Amino acid sequence: MIFGIPDPQILIGYGLSLGLALACIVYGWLYWNEEERTDGS
Amino acid sequence: MAVDSLLMTSLVLVYLAATLIIGYIGYKKTKSSEDYLVAGRCSHPVIIALSYGATFISTSAIIGFGGMAANLGMGLIWLTVLNIGIGILLAFVLFGKKTREIGQRLSAVTFPDLMCKIYKSPLLQYIAGFIIVISMPLYTAAILIGGARFIEPTLGIPYATSLILFALITAVYVVFGGLIAVMYTDAFQGTIMLIGMTVLLALTLIAVGGFTAGTTALTNMADMVPKALASQGMTGWTAMPDLGSPIWFTLVTTLVLGVGIGVLAQPQLVVRFMTAKDNKSLNRAVLVGGPFILMMTGVAFTVGALCNVYFVQNTGKIAIDAAGGNVDAILPLFINMAMPDIFVVIFMLTLLSAAMSTLSALYHAMGTALVCDLWGRGKECALSMKAHQVGIVIMMVLSTILAFLLPISIIARATAMFMGLCACAFLPAFAVGVYAKTPSTKAALWSMVAGAVIWFAWTAFVHAAEAKPLGLCQALFGKATLLGAPWTAVDPLVIGLPISMIVMIVMQYQYARQQPATPAAA
Repeated sequence: MIFGIPDPQILIGYGLSLGLALACIVYGWLYWNEEERTDGS
Repeated sequence: MAVDSLLMTSLVLVYLAATLIIGYIGYKKTKSSEDYLVAGRCSHPVIIALSYGATFISTSAIIGFGGMAANLGMGLIWLTVLNIGIGILLAFVLFGKKTREIGQRLSAVTFPDLMCKIYKSPLLQYIAGFIIVISMPLYTAAILIGGARFIEPTLGIPYATSLILFALITAVYVVFGGLIAVMYTDAFQGTIMLIGMTVLLALTLIAVGGFTAGTTALTNMADMVPKALASQGMTGWTAMPDLGSPIWFTLVTTLVLGVGIGVLAQPQLVVRFMTAKDNKSLNRAVLVGGPFILMMTGVAFTVGALCNVYFVQNTGKIAIDAAGGNVDAILPLFINMAMPDIFVVIFMLTLLSAAMSTLSALYHAMGTALVCDLWGRGKECALSMKAHQVGIVIMMVLSTILAFLLPISIIARATAMFMGLCACAFLPAFAVGVYAKTPSTKAALWSMVAGAVIWFAWTAFVHAAEAKPLGLCQALFGKATLLGAPWTAVDPLVIGLPISMIVMIVMQYQYARQQPATPAAA
């Protein structure tokens, strides 16, 4: 039992929530000044 | 409430004054129809992120879904995963940039207008506008009811007066200031929401002795799960329900998938992408948007589940019993009992902000759909600010009337219904429209119609939560639902979206080559 939570599905949910929020921060920071065109359509 | 009413009223008046002043600043910056409809296409990244997030998160998300977490447990955290992963990362990175570029190139000003210009089909604009004008008042009425039900006991104003005042005050800055005023006030309200939810998390963790202590206590309370829920698959507040059980279907298909995917094609959110000056602005908005959503839904669901520990320790009852069986009353009751008085006021402003920010965006989207996409499609007058102001007032009045007709229990249900319909009707056509070189008009039309019709049929004749109160199936076929379990617990989105996608993909494959490249592919 990690952090008092017995079900790994809940732990994965919390891990993904925090990880995705972190991914948003990293993405925004890395592409802060990037003005890429999303051509190809 | 035990809070000093003078303090409460003073802070609410200060909040309303600040909102109206910010709305007035937006009004002064609105010089053209493009300002009014798409905020001049030059919004600041932080304003885009906070406006998108605050519009996305309504009172229903905090109170309704927070209460659901108190009732059904921490499995709702998967909705936060989808809210951030799909609602922010996927929405901004995959759809946002393309939407902004195409919207700017084609001078699209509303979601149906964007679809019309991508597919070169006025009929598509009429259908999308019609779906918005018909379905969005339901969601708007739910937001109005939620706000008024909260204002009524808090400020001691009668329900009907609360509802009308709430509708009017929000409408004032939307009607006069357009999207600039809406987005400026959204950013202000989003900041209040961020402060409120951060303090709520901190005080809740203090109240239950920290995260691990709280979750351990919650895990040890598994034997207190009500028999009615246990018999339907609930195993505890820190575990997912049994796979395939009725509660699992409700949690996964209606709450997590229904709301998590539904966000992608909501017209009032898609328009936010068209307000960005460049893709750089959208990249920067992602940085703010992800943590913002984590602090909204992640906190609401965690606090919702953990408040069971507080209620058991202080009243001997689990949250739903302490709240007299009313899911929507759980979080307000917890805050009144466990939090210092000043926080009760802060949380009230947080909820008011969540409701007003969503409401203002819906007024704007409905009004512009009525004028630009239905009544005045293709006419010059459709782009006049006056015409849009009239449209917003008409839709505001209709939504307010509907709010008086609907029952209170409709709040969370109406939210999930609106998001499900948006996904079924709009998502496949929107996704193909912004990405395909030669998107097929026929495919988009049939996908949109199939998605909307299947969603409605499943809602009215199969999904028990809506079919039973609606009574259409009973009246026509003499039984509450046409199919039995487990289909009655499967959300209409789970059926409607795949069918709408299949129609889109098959017809796109069949007809795309017969169609010249659209302006979107230029």
